[in-house]
Amino acid sequence: MNSNEFDVIIIGGGITGAGTQRDCAMRGLKTLLIERSDIATGATGRNHGLLHSGARYAVNDPESAEECIKENQILRRIASHCVEETDGLFITLPEDDLGYQQTFVEACRKAGIRADIIDPDLARRLEPSVNPDLIGAVRVPDGSVDPFRLCAANMLDAKLHGGQVRLHTEVTGFIREGNTIRGVHTRHLVSGEEADYYAPVTVNACGIWGHAIAQMAGVNVGMYPAKGALLVFAHRVNNMVVNRCRKPSNADILVPGDTVCIIGTTSTRIPFEECDHVAVTPDEVTLLITEGAKMAPALSSTRILRAYAGVRPLVSADDDPTGRNISRGIVCLDHETRDGLAGFITITGGKLMTYRLMAEIASDAVCRKLHIDKSCETASIPLPGSEEHSYEAVAQKIWETPSMAQKAAAARLGTSASHIQTSSRTDESLVCECEEVSVGEVNAAIERLDASTLTDLRRRTRIGMGTCQGGFCACRAAGLLAKASGCIEKEREGLVHFMQERWKGNFPIGWGDTLREAEYTQWVYKHVLGL
Amino acid sequence: MKFNTVIIGGGLAGLVAGISLQKAGQNTAIISSGQNALHFFSGTFESMEEPSQQLAELFSEAGIRTHYQAGVRLMPLGTFRPAALSLEDISLFPTSHFGKKVLIVNFLGYHDFFSSFLAEGLEKQGMSCRIHQLKLAQLEWLEQSPSEMRSVQIARIMDRIWDVVVQEVRVLLKDEDTVVLPQVFGLQDISVPGRIRQGIPAQVVFAGTLPPSVPGIRTQMLLKRRYELLGGTYLAGDEATGAHVHEGVVHSIVTKNLDSHFLEAGHFILASGGFFSKGLRSNPFQIQEPVFGLDVVQAADRSDWYQPDFMQEQPYMSFGVQTDAQLHAVRDGQALKNLFAVGSILGGTRPEMGTAAGLAIRSALAAVDQILRRS
Repeated sequence: MNSNEFDVIIIGGGITGAGTQRDCAMRGLKTLLIERSDIATGATGRNHGLLHSGARYAVNDPESAEECIKENQILRRIASHCVEETDGLFITLPEDDLGYQQTFVEACRKAGIRADIIDPDLARRLEPSVNPDLIGAVRVPDGSVDPFRLCAANMLDAKLHGGQVRLHTEVTGFIREGNTIRGVHTRHLVSGEEADYYAPVTVNACGIWGHAIAQMAGVNVGMYPAKGALLVFAHRVNNMVVNRCRKPSNADILVPGDTVCIIGTTSTRIPFEECDHVAVTPDEVTLLITEGAKMAPALSSTRILRAYAGVRPLVSADDDPTGRNISRGIVCLDHETRDGLAGFITITGGKLMTYRLMAEIASDAVCRKLHIDKSCETASIPLPGSEEHSYEAVAQKIWETPSMAQKAAAARLGTSASHIQTSSRTDESLVCECEEVSVGEVNAAIERLDASTLTDLRRRTRIGMGTCQGGFCACRAAGLLAKASGCIEKEREGLVHFMQERWKGNFPIGWGDTLREAEYTQWVYKHVLGL
Repeated sequence: MKFNTVIIGGGLAGLVAGISLQKAGQNTAIISSGQNALHFFSGTFESMEEPSQQLAELFSEAGIRTHYQAGVRLMPLGTFRPAALSLEDISLFPTSHFGKKVLIVNFLGYHDFFSSFLAEGLEKQGMSCRIHQLKLAQLEWLEQSPSEMRSVQIARIMDRIWDVVVQEVRVLLKDEDTVVLPQVFGLQDISVPGRIRQGIPAQVVFAGTLPPSVPGIRTQMLLKRRYELLGGTYLAGDEATGAHVHEGVVHSIVTKNLDSHFLEAGHFILASGGFFSKGLRSNPFQIQEPVFGLDVVQAADRSDWYQPDFMQEQPYMSFGVQTDAQLHAVRDGQALKNLFAVGSILGGTRPEMGTAAGLAIRSALAAVDQILRRS
């Protein structure tokens, strides 16, 4: 096989693409993943990071609920270093109908989700941040999951199984032979280098952008972009996931994650042209704060770190061109049987939570096309980093007496933290003090996890995600990138881009301490450092 | 407690006002809540050139040495900006081509000084650069804690071992005509930058680091020392929380620590800074001045507070306290007769007074002038 020939090409470096690549690679296929930007830049990195128990869907969408709880249990095993087992509460507030609680619990149990009605007093003790006026509470096995880590770990494992990854590479066209897709034309967006890659099967795993990729291939996938806005708070106000026990609505999920917590979301249909530049409006911010504070009153006085939005790749059923019958379930389209276009599969719909199942369904379809009879193993074999269950045990194994920063790294990377250089004290010095990220960890992300820009580094290490929003760490990290790449001009532009991107999520919530921090950062970067 | 003038804010504007009033024989107090903009001062007094005689005297009596020449200065990320009145250890050049061969020296493990960005910036100007990471045994204990390798910690050590750096650089120096070092010298001992320049047989340029700024903290300490030497009362770690105002006249200030002991005075100067220093506070609906509830010039709609482009001038930075022509602060449309607003709390409302450090100094001296003329 030539170096530009593969068994399968996967377009899209979100969690679905990364999961599909891992699955195919584990089944012995020669895989190539192509991503226009960086890993997890679409909906993968722009959600709550909620490890759904499925309870949210139990009443209205039992099928999704069942998928969720199964995947929930699988991810706790195979991705333990990306998951926090926090449990969740579905609370009933005085303005909600307590009668819904019974319907909800019954539906959960039917779907196989543990759902225990607990006394409001116990709920207040378990989760002190919860609105003390609550009149009912149900405990469910929700949790939180770090989508960036999860995506990076899937891609890393695909690479360990021989897979190749091309980031910052755009598919510019398909190589067609009659009614068969034989491969793709690509262009590297930084170097401008063009390359062709060939494979008997190409998988479209581009989320909402899959609509355009399908069009490029000459087929139509009826997608509906639904924007969801979220807010990140600067403190971890809650330790359990908090939901409202009512029909799913706006701003009714509060998820703790690492050092922060996240409230969301809204749901608004937007035109395709806006998918690349979704912005959070002042009205959305107000709605998220008001509704969020009903669940956890402390939110009204907690500093907000960022506002951001993602686009759900919803798909309308094939026989419903009007889009009224929109599913949040998994959609796998074999374009050969559907449109007469061979060698092309679209995997879309679904959720972060069910990425592994989506990957399994897509990989099964790929294997059928290639006449390969190998079964999926991703539900049982842990991801790299998750071989040990507790991050403290991991840190202890690697460092004997781990520092706080090393524990933080072990929590982020799991057993992969052993690849962090600690040969000198410099490796241990901190780049990011908010999130305790060391020089060694940044360098490991550059070398091992394909990070080539500051934004790439943020997704892999959390630099710039803390309270300073890059004010201090961005410059330091840019210095390390400059050392690694040798291209300082690029890093200078990268720094501007990074600060620009941080600002994008700051100004919609620019008041109070956020504005203080912004004034400081903008003054320092422009007038003190001379960016 | 009764004073001639009470000043809220212990940054550049507050200290310049306090020193000037003490010199003129007044009894004053400064209320300082903590950090101020001098902690990230670049060492250059933006929007100022040659100092007035009054200012030059004030600086030299405080032990602050400044200089000015038209041209450019080097920024920490390797770019150049127009020259302005600067502390003596900030180099000003007639043009951005200030040397032929440059040796850039950093300390091993110090990430807040951007040698590769500097090198790239200087190479763009046609200079050739060599970067060296100096390993100093004296800095090793700093490295033991991952967040100790910061400007001020290094500067404390450098006050003692600056001569080691001179010796090391002399050994390193080949045919370079210029040496660039991080701005971590002369925190307490202000003679250090000058002695380094004397000891190294090449042009020595100190380039900035990430905050905290060593020249800025030094300037703050010198001004504060001078103020206290003149008999001023510097209330560190206190905060003005409210004021008693009657018929357009401020009678006293309430502070956090002094509880029921109000600070009474004939005049008051509000030098509490911008958003960072909490002179201005904001909520989702408006921007407020918290001590007196002064009128603030601002855009009504929050969406007009920002530019989506990070690099553009931001409208919110131009918002500030409303004043009349004499810098009297305005509340409910009425100028308060004995309250002057100075420094960054003015935002961009007084463009004729310059920006940043220039605005702080000009407005502080203007307020002092008003006060002294009246008493």
